Amino acid sequence: MDVLWAVLVQPFVDMVSAPDFLLQVLWDGFVGGVLYALIALGFVLIFKASGIFNFAQGIMVVFAALTLVGLYALGMPAWVALALTLVVMFVLAVAVERLVLRPLVNQPDIILFMATIGLTYFLIGLGEFVFGGEPKVMITEALGLPTGMREWEVFGGVVFFQEIDIAAAAIAIVMVVGIGVFFHYTRIGRALRAVADDHQAALSVGISLEQIWVIVWFTAGVVALATGIMWGARSDVSFALQIIALKALPVLILGGFTSIPGAIVGGLIIGIGEKLGEIYWGPLIGGGIESWLAYVIALVFLLFRPQGLFGERIIERV
Amino acid sequence: MAGAVEAAPAREDTFPKLLLRHARERGGRPAMREKHLGIWQTWTWGEVLAEVRAAALGFARRGIGPGDAVAIVGANRPRLYWSMLAVQSLGAVPVPVYADSVADEIAYVLAHAEVVAAVCQDQEQVDKLIQVADQTPKLKFLVYDEPRGLGDYGRDRLHAFTEVQDEGRAAMTADPGLADAWAARVAAGSPDDVSVILYTSGTTGRSKGVMLSAGGCVAAARDTVAFDHLTERDEVLAYLPLAWVGDHYLNYAQAMVAGFCIACPESAETVTQDLREIGPSFYFAPPRVFEGLLTRVTIRMEDASRLKRAMVRHFLAVARRHGAAILDGRPVPLTGRLAYWLGELLVYGPLKNVLGFSRIRVAYTAGEAIGPDLFAFWRGLGLNLKQLYGQTEAFLYVTCQADGDIRSDTVGPPAPHVALRIADDGEVQFKSPGMFLGYFRDEARTAETMTPDGFVKTGDAGFFTPDGHLKIIDRARDVGRLSDGTLFAPKYIENKLKFFPTIREAVAFGDGRGFVTVMLNIDLTAVGDWAERADISYASYQELASHPRVIDLLEQAVDQVNRDLAAEPAMAGAQIRRFLVLHKELDADDGELTRTQKVRRGFIAERYAPLIEALYDGSTERHVRTEVTFEDGRRGAIEATVSIRDMTPHAGPAPALREAAE
Amino acid sequence: MTAAVTTIRAAVTDAGGPPLLALEGVTLSFGGVRAINDVSFDVRKGEIRAIIGPNGAGKTSMLNVINGFYHPQQGTITYKGTVRRRMRPYDAASHGIARTFQNVALFKGMTTLDNIMAGRTLKMKRGFLWQCLRYGPALSEEIAHRRAVEEIIDFLEIEAIRKTPVGKLPYGLQKRVELARALAMEPELLLLDEPMAGMNLEEKEDMSRYILDVNRLWGTTIALIEHDMGVVMDLSDRVVVLDYGVKIADGPPEEVQKNQDVIDAYLGVPH
Repeated sequence: MDVLWAVLVQPFVDMVSAPDFLLQVLWDGFVGGVLYALIALGFVLIFKASGIFNFAQGIMVVFAALTLVGLYALGMPAWVALALTLVVMFVLAVAVERLVLRPLVNQPDIILFMATIGLTYFLIGLGEFVFGGEPKVMITEALGLPTGMREWEVFGGVVFFQEIDIAAAAIAIVMVVGIGVFFHYTRIGRALRAVADDHQAALSVGISLEQIWVIVWFTAGVVALATGIMWGARSDVSFALQIIALKALPVLILGGFTSIPGAIVGGLIIGIGEKLGEIYWGPLIGGGIESWLAYVIALVFLLFRPQGLFGERIIERV
Repeated sequence: MAGAVEAAPAREDTFPKLLLRHARERGGRPAMREKHLGIWQTWTWGEVLAEVRAAALGFARRGIGPGDAVAIVGANRPRLYWSMLAVQSLGAVPVPVYADSVADEIAYVLAHAEVVAAVCQDQEQVDKLIQVADQTPKLKFLVYDEPRGLGDYGRDRLHAFTEVQDEGRAAMTADPGLADAWAARVAAGSPDDVSVILYTSGTTGRSKGVMLSAGGCVAAARDTVAFDHLTERDEVLAYLPLAWVGDHYLNYAQAMVAGFCIACPESAETVTQDLREIGPSFYFAPPRVFEGLLTRVTIRMEDASRLKRAMVRHFLAVARRHGAAILDGRPVPLTGRLAYWLGELLVYGPLKNVLGFSRIRVAYTAGEAIGPDLFAFWRGLGLNLKQLYGQTEAFLYVTCQADGDIRSDTVGPPAPHVALRIADDGEVQFKSPGMFLGYFRDEARTAETMTPDGFVKTGDAGFFTPDGHLKIIDRARDVGRLSDGTLFAPKYIENKLKFFPTIREAVAFGDGRGFVTVMLNIDLTAVGDWAERADISYASYQELASHPRVIDLLEQAVDQVNRDLAAEPAMAGAQIRRFLVLHKELDADDGELTRTQKVRRGFIAERYAPLIEALYDGSTERHVRTEVTFEDGRRGAIEATVSIRDMTPHAGPAPALREAAE
Repeated sequence: MTAAVTTIRAAVTDAGGPPLLALEGVTLSFGGVRAINDVSFDVRKGEIRAIIGPNGAGKTSMLNVINGFYHPQQGTITYKGTVRRRMRPYDAASHGIARTFQNVALFKGMTTLDNIMAGRTLKMKRGFLWQCLRYGPALSEEIAHRRAVEEIIDFLEIEAIRKTPVGKLPYGLQKRVELARALAMEPELLLLDEPMAGMNLEEKEDMSRYILDVNRLWGTTIALIEHDMGVVMDLSDRVVVLDYGVKIADGPPEEVQKNQDVIDAYLGVPH
């Protein structure tokens, strides 16, 4: 009985009795969710356009952040470093298309998936070789990102907002809206959707798969860079960061592999759910809950909506 | 009202005269719209005048003159309307022909009307006319609107509408006086001239050419334009068949009198989208269209989320309770008004917007009985839906309901200036301003239709309610009796059945027989949707219609109708004892329906004689083979085994037999 | 069919200029299986050329070779006077070869309009950066292309489904949208893979009319695969017959119809 009480009632009592703290937890969860969503977005972009589950998305985040920090360390202004990093990400996209995707065209998906694992290790090696293996500090201030803290007195308490988190949320929103508009209202966006829907048909109307893949991988690279900057600003830039790619998996299960809104909503649900679980239920089983809770949330969800939150509805007409 | 019309005899009394007036008084206002390549094109009255004049002079050069009949074959296209005006301006007579007529029907009309030229919408119509050319010796040339597919055709008797117009314009350049001469010719037009010949798609026999006079047409349209307060700011979407009196009256004649704009749909399939884009203020649709829309709304609702569904249900209930009262200006409690206002914001408004009904001020329905629930639904939404009763011979209006005096079970009091009476045998007879001059080249049938004192026999049986509304029960000659003398009004039974969304068409039999039987057509949309939810898979209409569970579904409907009939003393004896579900959709191409989609009971009885036999000999199923006509005129056959169900009649209220109907 | 169609046929039979496409000794194998074995035939400018044969005869493989999906191991393909050994689909498309697919390959999540607009991809000249925007010259170019697309919509009478996601359309209409998308490429050579498969009689007649109109109005050369022999006889100027990847007949429909090998192949006589 006590166990049931502790699991089913007590956490909610805690939430209601300290609403300011709840708000703080929700905000932290939200910020985490935004970052999950950004990573998932990178996966979705590539999966939509090529059907490839890009295992290297996590390392791309690290690689992009390392490149930015590394270039800045060479003594150039932050904005130049940023621009050059974008160039590097573009070159990476072109290289991936030329050296990995093109030779493997028409191979089974699993082969391509393997290739992205290979790509992961290549990028780890390249990153360590060029920038060294030790953790680095993100150049938050040099990039002009705010680092202060805001307080909000509410419900008789104080909720703290890191300004960098606010900036992260704002930038994420701008990026997501930008990508959405790009997909829906431009000709390239139309071509991207065409490729996502039917490769052969897209080829037959003269859409160049090579061009589309470069664009998609570059976009994923840009998203990775943004993720790297935001995440790096909260902790630091190290190869350990690539583990967050694993957090994207439950987000994708939840949101569907092909849906941009799904990635966002899924990211937020996982982020907030994880935080709530960690704070209110975690102590019951001695903590450590956040490493697997996301998967539990995703699995429970899967029971009710096998196609994911926004995934294409599975309609089978007889 | 009567005085007003007669006091101004100098007013325009032909359509071409009205065209001149609109070009003069509102030359810059829109007169016509059509969607071309995805964009709405608009012509002003001034531009329409120029187009019509060019066409008229072109026609004149090609030998069209007073008294000549010119067929107009196709859908609602600006150029076909202009052709009508151009022909009328020359004193010639347009004869609109149903675009979906098969070659045979067209040949009959063209030959009977002695048509000398025809304006066709496109290759499809041109092909049909070429096919029947040998049966129409007087036909001198064809004009087409859309050139597609006609590139290889011989040019000696086939001309583009634009060519004809170019010839007219060239003639005007060569002789600057020609335009004025044409205007003078229009001004000299007599109201007694035949303005148009409309061929009715009668339920029996060959169609008849109803001659309407110019003056009569204009006078009738003036009355209803005033009755419904139509002005130049109104707009219609002309989607009704061009050859039907409904289009010629409601769209063409009323637009010509009031000076409002006619929008032509992009194609027959786009009407729903065009409605939404145009947002007409005056609308007509037969009950089946309103029914189809309601079915669509219901299906959409079933697919919506639970919350949405509950909201829609709630506000539709509010609409049912207060909507009609608010529309009629009757008192409604404040809470009701508030709830309705909220409903308008959340449900009715968006719904009407999706359907293109947002701007409708006046909507009419006619042609058959409309279900009381259906009627109440639309009025509840705030759509000012009214009923009218009319005939081609009357140039449409015989009765119509005035704003605020609306009923679902009547067709309203006589329209302005219409004299109406019920003959001793129950037949409705009228005299009206737009009354026809007679059937073209058919004095015998004209005489049959007219009473000695100049009234027109409608052929419908009806009676007046105490407050002066007319109620129609059936075609006078269709009201029959069962062998035991029980009153049998087939249409009454059929309508009750057709009020079920699952039943598209019903045909009742029983005159002179021992009991009533019916043949049903399922509604593919509603039943198909039901089947999907019930996990019934089917490959064709035929398969769905013969599925035992579908027949079970219809059995419930038939039983409900029997229950209703049992409650009415006069009808209790006419309950349905046996029914079957037909294996094919009744179709106008096979002659089973009229072009206006009414069932031809006699023809069906003959065509499906084995099924009728089976209905009355107690068989539980029957194998039949049915000839069908495809749209291109070719024939084929379909075969099926149709099963027949028995029904148990309900007990009547009290055995007080045979009271007068109603 | 009616007299009108017969006149059109008469006009088309005269067409038959120099070869637009010539295949010489084409052989295609997958693993050890020979899908196409030493096949040669040509398609003349302006004609309607039918490729027929029983199931598994290699017809679709033939189309895939022509538009660059497959690369034959042997043989040459001469298109517009130039010999091409390895043509990629992109090259085929940019040289005016458009196609439809046997099982309808549309962009199912996109509207009819977007699908057809996608067919304009190669006609759009503005560079990549412009294409990312929807502004200025890119916008006016978009409008010009939209007009071209609207004309095709009008031509194929699919106004009513402009804004409908094609996945929701019935099969017959999907086939029509697919044709519309191919037409939007303004092709010189149009490859149709069973354009009438799975259609009812009425839809077949409509489709036949569209194919004839395309051929006649725009002079588009058409190579089509079709199973319905009636349609083939009505539509095509010349017919090539494949059986087990080998060409067994080639000539006008009337002749091919009488060819004993063809009759055997269709009746399944073992050989």
